[in-house]
Amino acid sequence: MKVQSGKFTIRYTASAIAIMMLVAILSACSGSNGNETNKGTASQPSPASSNNAAPAGEASYPLQTTDTLTYWAEYNSSKSTIGEVPFFQEWQKRTGVPLRFISPPSGQSTDSLNIMLASGDLPDLIEYDWFNFPGGPEKAIADGYILRLNDYIDQFAPNLKKYLAEHPEVDKMIKTDNGSYYTFPFLRGDPMLQVYQGPIIRQDWLTELGLEVPETIAEWHDMLKAFKEKKGAEAPLSYMFSPEFLNNGAFIGAFGASRTWFQQDGVVKYGPMEPGYKEFLSTFRQWRTEGLLDKNIANVDGKALDANMTNNLTGASVLNSGNGIGKWTPLLQEKNPNAKLVGAPYPVLNKGEVAMLGQKDPIYTTGTNVAITSKAKNVELAVRMLDWGYSEEGHMYFNFGQEGVSYTLDSNNQPIYTDLLLKNSEGLSPSQAMTLYIRANYGGPFVQDKRYITQYLALPEQKAALEQWTKTNVSDHKLPQITPTPEEASELAQIMNDVNTLVDEMTLKIILGNEPVDAYDSYMAKLKSLGIDRVIEIQQAALDRYNSR
Amino acid sequence: MNKPAFGRFLIKDLVGNRYLYIMMLPVLAYYLIFHYAPMYGVLIAFKDYSPMKGILGSPWVDFKHFETFFNSYYFLRVLKNTLLISVYSLLFEFPAPIILALLINEVRSRSYKRVVQSITYMPYFISMIVIAGLIRDFTDSGGVLNSIYMYFGGDGTSMLQNEGLFRPIYILSEIWQKAGWESIIYLAALAGIDQGQYEAARIDGAGRLKQIWHITLPGLMPTIVILFILRMGNLLNVGFEKIILLYNPVIYETADVISSFVYRKGLLEFNWSYSTAVGLFNSVINLTLLILANWISKRVTNSSLW
Repeated sequence: MKVQSGKFTIRYTASAIAIMMLVAILSACSGSNGNETNKGTASQPSPASSNNAAPAGEASYPLQTTDTLTYWAEYNSSKSTIGEVPFFQEWQKRTGVPLRFISPPSGQSTDSLNIMLASGDLPDLIEYDWFNFPGGPEKAIADGYILRLNDYIDQFAPNLKKYLAEHPEVDKMIKTDNGSYYTFPFLRGDPMLQVYQGPIIRQDWLTELGLEVPETIAEWHDMLKAFKEKKGAEAPLSYMFSPEFLNNGAFIGAFGASRTWFQQDGVVKYGPMEPGYKEFLSTFRQWRTEGLLDKNIANVDGKALDANMTNNLTGASVLNSGNGIGKWTPLLQEKNPNAKLVGAPYPVLNKGEVAMLGQKDPIYTTGTNVAITSKAKNVELAVRMLDWGYSEEGHMYFNFGQEGVSYTLDSNNQPIYTDLLLKNSEGLSPSQAMTLYIRANYGGPFVQDKRYITQYLALPEQKAALEQWTKTNVSDHKLPQITPTPEEASELAQIMNDVNTLVDEMTLKIILGNEPVDAYDSYMAKLKSLGIDRVIEIQQAALDRYNSR
Repeated sequence: MNKPAFGRFLIKDLVGNRYLYIMMLPVLAYYLIFHYAPMYGVLIAFKDYSPMKGILGSPWVDFKHFETFFNSYYFLRVLKNTLLISVYSLLFEFPAPIILALLINEVRSRSYKRVVQSITYMPYFISMIVIAGLIRDFTDSGGVLNSIYMYFGGDGTSMLQNEGLFRPIYILSEIWQKAGWESIIYLAALAGIDQGQYEAARIDGAGRLKQIWHITLPGLMPTIVILFILRMGNLLNVGFEKIILLYNPVIYETADVISSFVYRKGLLEFNWSYSTAVGLFNSVINLTLLILANWISKRVTNSSLW
């Protein structure tokens, strides 16, 4: 019975078993691994020798080095590996630093990083959302995964240092409460770059029905009703009911609530506990009963939404200007040349109000930030390589690529993307082509340039939509990037996990009519018993610390 | 047996069968390295594990992670859901391949038999992502299954938004996916039944049903029992893959199981110790159930794993 006895050893849940094995196997030989790394460090030639003379000053690129750095990042492009992407090839040439790339399967960066960290075998550089690292960036430093960068930035990163000195508000964002720098951040260089999402409506239907673009919830209701009755839309309003879209507050914000945290005059509030949240639920429940809301609302994903929109089942949605208006318009016009989409303002309750919430990324957008790990062999080299992105040359390169290849300068010395990006002869869409030559549409260690978005948004509707979507008071209400302490963070994560399960469940069950609207009150009682007050306390303290940074 | 005698016997046996023993070494090493050595990692269930400190260097926290799990607001619900899904699969999915094997066995035409077999075990090779995508399409409003369901009183909303339907959908798709594949082992067992018995039965005037009842089923019984016991040892392991691809917050009430709960909580938050603690808890329960099932089966049917 050998075979069976193997089966019994210890069977964990599918997830735990993989990690367990890995942890154990790797740790069994981690002693020797660790030593090897150390030996390696000791025998490495010293860093970019040309810089040793004046460590604090500007470096001259390309750097001279014999080291190769390992770089871990998820990067989805039409090439099968990062190393094949022309952007990364040229980046290595310009900085003079050879890189060896490691990348997780698409969409599995968190799982892969998890396993890599558990193994203790770290590359030199990791591009990840370090702000949202479980436990917070301070924990990532304290646990010994990544380095506190303050001294290194001070000595070897003159370009980033200069930018931060000129933009103290950004400097405040990218630090922790303790003042630690932990990544080379992706920064949005202009407010126009921070907003990209909002309500989208079929303009041609509005025109046909003689309707104006709706502003209030009541107008939205009438419009959706007209879409259903006169245009035969089966799912007049359809959008993805995922945290990303709910948290940005379309519709919910009209009722003075939010799916997530927000602040009012320096006081932290948890949206689902606001009385407005119940009103939102009962309104959407009503819409659903009237058939104005997609029947499959709990399951809507990007694919389903595309199908609804292009098959005229849906007349209104919430999505980005690029993969909403930009993607749907040509698809719709193939069948119906008159089809047109319009960006609508975030709905409010009373005419003339300005929406409380809306999508707006902070200047420091945390998705693609590069940290240097504690196992990095040559920290100075790594810092200098990353700092290049904030230099003038690096800025142009990250945003526009290579002159003569992906952009040309016009008579006013402004960069203009070439057809290689905008009308690619191999049939790549502009965003696919851009991913190969620039990083302005993907993020990374640099400051994003406004001149990217003005060229990327090809349709006038997209530009008009941005204008509508920026008209919110979200900046007053969104929580800044606060960082609870590691202890608080683990307590918070613990409670919030149950809280999120509860709120997700409550929201959908009430809207879909599986439970009466008044169930809201009993859910609120449960929320209290889960310890939501303690989380509010933690968040408030973190906000206060942030404000006094 | 007295000791010196056994020692002498052992040495003699080792020397005599030395090549057999040498051949066994790799297998032994495999189990030691890949199945026993990793058990040492179970320690992290009792520690606040941090890879940089290593397993031994991480601080002990006793039963903290177990307590967190047991005290979780949703612990009883996920435990109940896990058990119910397991028990229902045991009731409905486990017999399916047996019935299928019996049916295939009664088919006379060899080529027809092969075609049926190939078709029924094909779904097993489709990736879970695709399977889940199919299920979602079929059960969404306008989907095939949804349209059929509407004849029986469905209201046309996505069936995966109805918490009462999740378990049937899960179990039925499980049968569709696995029955063909799992029937292979029963078919193999059927091939081993002595044909002479059937001949004798026919001479005694037994019809086909009688033959199945008195010859085929008893012949399959040891296989069925062994597989059943093994199944018991997996009772708490409802895979999270299919669940997280199919569920959504509306049906957490019936669909959220231990593994999906731990996935949301432990894995995505890099909480290795917590996931391990839950895994260990599962294993202990599973092992207990397995031993119990084996013991009962030994008493009742005389066939068992050991």
